[in-house]
Amino acid sequence: MYLATLLFILTTLVACTPKTPSEGVHVHSLLEANIPHLDPIHSTNKYSSTINSAIFEGLFHYHYLKRPLQIEPSLAASLPEISKDKKIYRIKIKKNVFFQDDPAFANGKGRELEASDFIYSWKRLADPQNKALGWWVFDGLIVGLNQWRADLRKGKADYDTPVLGLKALDKHTLEITLNHPSHHFLHRLAMPITMVVAKEVVDKYGSKIANHPVGTGPFVLKNWIRNSKVELIKNPTYRPALYPSESSEETQGLLKDAGKTLPLADKITIHIFREYQPIWLSFLNGTLDHGVLPKENSDQLLNKEHDIREEFSKKGIRVLTQVRPDVTFISFNMEHPVLGKHKKLRQALAHALDKKTILEKFYNNRGVVAHGPIPPNINGYVAEYSNPYKFDRMKAKRLLRDAGFPNGNGLPTFEYHMPNVSTWSRQFADFVKAQWAEIGVELRLVSNTWPQFDKKLKSKDAAIFDMAWMADYPDGENFLQLYYSQNVSPGPNSANFINRSYDSLYQQSLLLPPGHKRNKLFSKMVEFINDAVPSIFLVHRVVKLPYHAWLENYNESPLIYDYHKYLTIDQGKKNEFLKKLK
Amino acid sequence: MSLIVFLIFHVVGGDPAYQLAGKYASADQVQSLRQELGTDKTLFTQYFVFLGQIVSFNFGNSWQTSQSVLQMIGSAIGPTLSLSLPAFILGFLLSLFISIKSLDSKKSILRGLVPIFCLALMSVSFVAYIIFFQYFLAYKMNLFPINGWDHSLLHRWSYLFLPWIIAILVSLGPNVLLLSSLLSKEMEQDYVITARAKGLSTQRTLWHHILRNSLLPISTAVSLQIPFLITGSLLLEAFFGIPGMGSLLIEAIQSADLPVIKAITVLSTLLYVFVNLITDILYTVFDPKVIIQ
Repeated sequence: MYLATLLFILTTLVACTPKTPSEGVHVHSLLEANIPHLDPIHSTNKYSSTINSAIFEGLFHYHYLKRPLQIEPSLAASLPEISKDKKIYRIKIKKNVFFQDDPAFANGKGRELEASDFIYSWKRLADPQNKALGWWVFDGLIVGLNQWRADLRKGKADYDTPVLGLKALDKHTLEITLNHPSHHFLHRLAMPITMVVAKEVVDKYGSKIANHPVGTGPFVLKNWIRNSKVELIKNPTYRPALYPSESSEETQGLLKDAGKTLPLADKITIHIFREYQPIWLSFLNGTLDHGVLPKENSDQLLNKEHDIREEFSKKGIRVLTQVRPDVTFISFNMEHPVLGKHKKLRQALAHALDKKTILEKFYNNRGVVAHGPIPPNINGYVAEYSNPYKFDRMKAKRLLRDAGFPNGNGLPTFEYHMPNVSTWSRQFADFVKAQWAEIGVELRLVSNTWPQFDKKLKSKDAAIFDMAWMADYPDGENFLQLYYSQNVSPGPNSANFINRSYDSLYQQSLLLPPGHKRNKLFSKMVEFINDAVPSIFLVHRVVKLPYHAWLENYNESPLIYDYHKYLTIDQGKKNEFLKKLK
Repeated sequence: MSLIVFLIFHVVGGDPAYQLAGKYASADQVQSLRQELGTDKTLFTQYFVFLGQIVSFNFGNSWQTSQSVLQMIGSAIGPTLSLSLPAFILGFLLSLFISIKSLDSKKSILRGLVPIFCLALMSVSFVAYIIFFQYFLAYKMNLFPINGWDHSLLHRWSYLFLPWIIAILVSLGPNVLLLSSLLSKEMEQDYVITARAKGLSTQRTLWHHILRNSLLPISTAVSLQIPFLITGSLLLEAFFGIPGMGSLLIEAIQSADLPVIKAITVLSTLLYVFVNLITDILYTVFDPKVIIQ
C-alpha cells in the first residue's frame, strides 16, 4: 500500500517534469563507452574519434557512400600533388573555412583556417608533454619531426622552431616531406588524430583544452556530461559542404539528400552507456534513433537467416550490416621457452580448435572464419585463400606427438590470459581450454582487467592470450605489421614474432604501391605467418546495427567517424512509428 | 590504509605508462612516460610522494583526462549524493517504520511474514532488480525514463525516481531484519515489561522507549553505511547513466588512472574515520552514561 502510494507520487512527479521544447531536427545517437577527452591528438578509439569528428576536421576523410573506402578531400581543396619520388606532398587548403566562434579568438569570432594551423596541430601531436596516444601516426615519417620532438624534450626547441618536413608555402598551401615513401600516408591524414586545432584555443585553455574542443567541424559542443551524454548543435559558421551525389551500388538508396547542405541535423545528442540493457530498451522505445544489438537480444530481433523479424520490421526497425575491418585471434608469446620453440605444438593447437563452432557459439554466426590476419574488404584480402588449419583432432594429436609431446606428456600447464573480466571472455576461454584438453594440452585460465592484460602483453608476461585487432586504416599492411620484428612488445607485435625473412617481405611491401604486386607479397606474408603460427586466426566479425526507419542516411561504417553530419530525421515517419512502438 | 592501497595498485594493477603509450608503444616512449609520471622511481619514493599528496590534499591531474582530480570528484559527487542520500534516508525510515509496525502488530502472522519477506528480498541479486524494474517500470509501463541524466536540479529528479525505488527496495531486506532484531531484543528488557504492566500501549512503548534505547546500535549500523553513499552504487549508476563516483572509480580502475583511484580511496577512508568519530560523539547524546575520555 505504502509502496504503491510512493510509486504513484513518483510517477506523477515524472509526468509533471517539464519537457524540452522542439529544437529542429534532433538526432539521438549513442556510444558504448565513456570518452576521457575531446582532443584530436588522443583520438585513438572509435568513441573519441566519433565525437571529435563531429567537432573537428582534417585534410582528408572517407567518402560516406563509396565502398571500398575511398579517400576524398575534407579541408584540403583537392587531392595532393605528390612528387615523383613519392616523398613530397603539396596540399592546397580550402579557403573561407573558419574555426568555430569561441572566446579564445578576437571578439569571440572564429578566424580563418591557415596551412600553419596544421603544422601547429601536428607539432602538438609530437610534443612529448601532451602524451599523445596518436604520435605513432607520424613517428619516423616526416622529415625533422622526430628531431624536433627530441629537441623539445631537451628544451632546445619550441613551437616556433621550424620542422624541415612541414612547410606552409603560403596561407593555403602546405608542403609535407616524408623520410621515405608511404603508400598509406593519405590514410593517416584521414585519421581523426591529425585533425586541426587553433593555437589561440590551446593557449587559452591550456591543460583544460581537452574539455574545450573548438574545431572547424559541422557541430559545436553545447554540453558534455562525462559518463552520460554529449550534446552538439549545428555550427552556424560551418563551411559550405554538400551531401554526396555519388555512391556505390549498395548505398544507392541513400542519395535522397544528395546536394543538400551539411550538416542535415540541428542537434545531435550522443548518449553514453555502460550497459547493454538500457541501450536496447532505449532503442526499442524510440529514445535512441539507432542502437547496438546485444548478443542476448540477437535472436529476439533477427531470424535464423539473420534477417529482421516481421514484428519488428512492421514497427519500422531496420538493420544495417557492418563488415568490420578486424580479426580476432589467439596468440602465443614466441619468447615462451616451450611455445616459442615448437612450431608443431602451435600447429597442433591450431588444428585442435573448432573455428566454425566458435563463430556459431560466440559470434551468433555473424562473421566469417579468418584464415589470416587481413579482413574482407581490405587491400590484400584473398577470399579464396584458406589456411591449412581445419579442425582435425587426429592431425593435432599427430603433430603433438611429432613435437615430442605425445598426448601432451611433458608439456607444462600453460597460462591463458583473458583480456577482461566479462562473462563472454570467461566462456570463450573455457571453450578453448576444453578443446585443447581433448588433445592433452592443459591451460590455467587467468582473468585480467584491461590494464593488467595490457601490462602483461607489453612486458611479454602472457604465454597465450586472445585479442582482436581493428584496422587503423583500410590497408592490409596495418594487419601485417602485427608480426614485424620492429614492433615487438611493448609495440603491437604482442606475439613477439621475429623472423628475418618475414621482415624482409614486409619491408619490400612498404615500397610498393597498392596493387597486384604488393598483394602477392601480402599473400606470401600471410602464408608465412600461417606456417609459423604465432597466432591462430579466428573470426572477421560482422555487426548488425539496428536503427529506426525515421533515421535517414544511416550508414555508420568502421573508419568513417564523421557520419553524424549526414544524418537526419523524417519527423512524420517518427510520429507514425512511435505510436506502433508504444 | 595508504600502504595497502599503494601496494594493491602497484602489485596487481596495470602499468599506467603502458596505458598512456597506447597500442603502438615503443620501449623509449614507455620509459620516458614512466619518468614523467614518476613511476620509474623506487616504490619507497613513490609511496612518500603519495603520502605527501594525502597531507597536502593535492592529488594532481588525472592521467587519463588531464583534469584536476578534485574537480572530477567535485562533478561526480553531486549525482552520487542525489542518488544515494534520498534513497538511504527514505530506505532507512521505511525500514524503521516496517520494523516497528511488525513488532507492534498483534497478529503474529505479520511478525512471521516480515522476516520471510525480507529474506526473499535479500535472496534476489541487485542486478536482477535493476534489469526487472528497468524493463517493466521504465520500458513496458513507460512510468520512468530508462536512462539518462541532467545536471539541472529541476530536470535530474525524473531520472532518479526509479533508481531510488530499487535502492530502497534492496535496502529494505537487511535493514528491516537488523532493526527488527535490535528492537525485539530491547523489547525483552525488564523496563519494557514494567511499562507494559503499567498499561502503556505497545506503540508508545516502541516509539518512546524502545527506539530511544536502541539508538546506540542503530547509529553504529547506520554509520557503517555512510561511506558507501559517497563511493556510489556502481550498478545503479551504470544501468541508469548517472555520472557519479561509482562510474568515475570504475573508469579509473579500467584505465590505471592512479591519481583518481588514490583520491577516491583516501576520501572514502577519511569519511569513514570522520563518520565513526561523529558516531562516537553521538553515543554520548543517545546515552549520557557514555563518557568520551
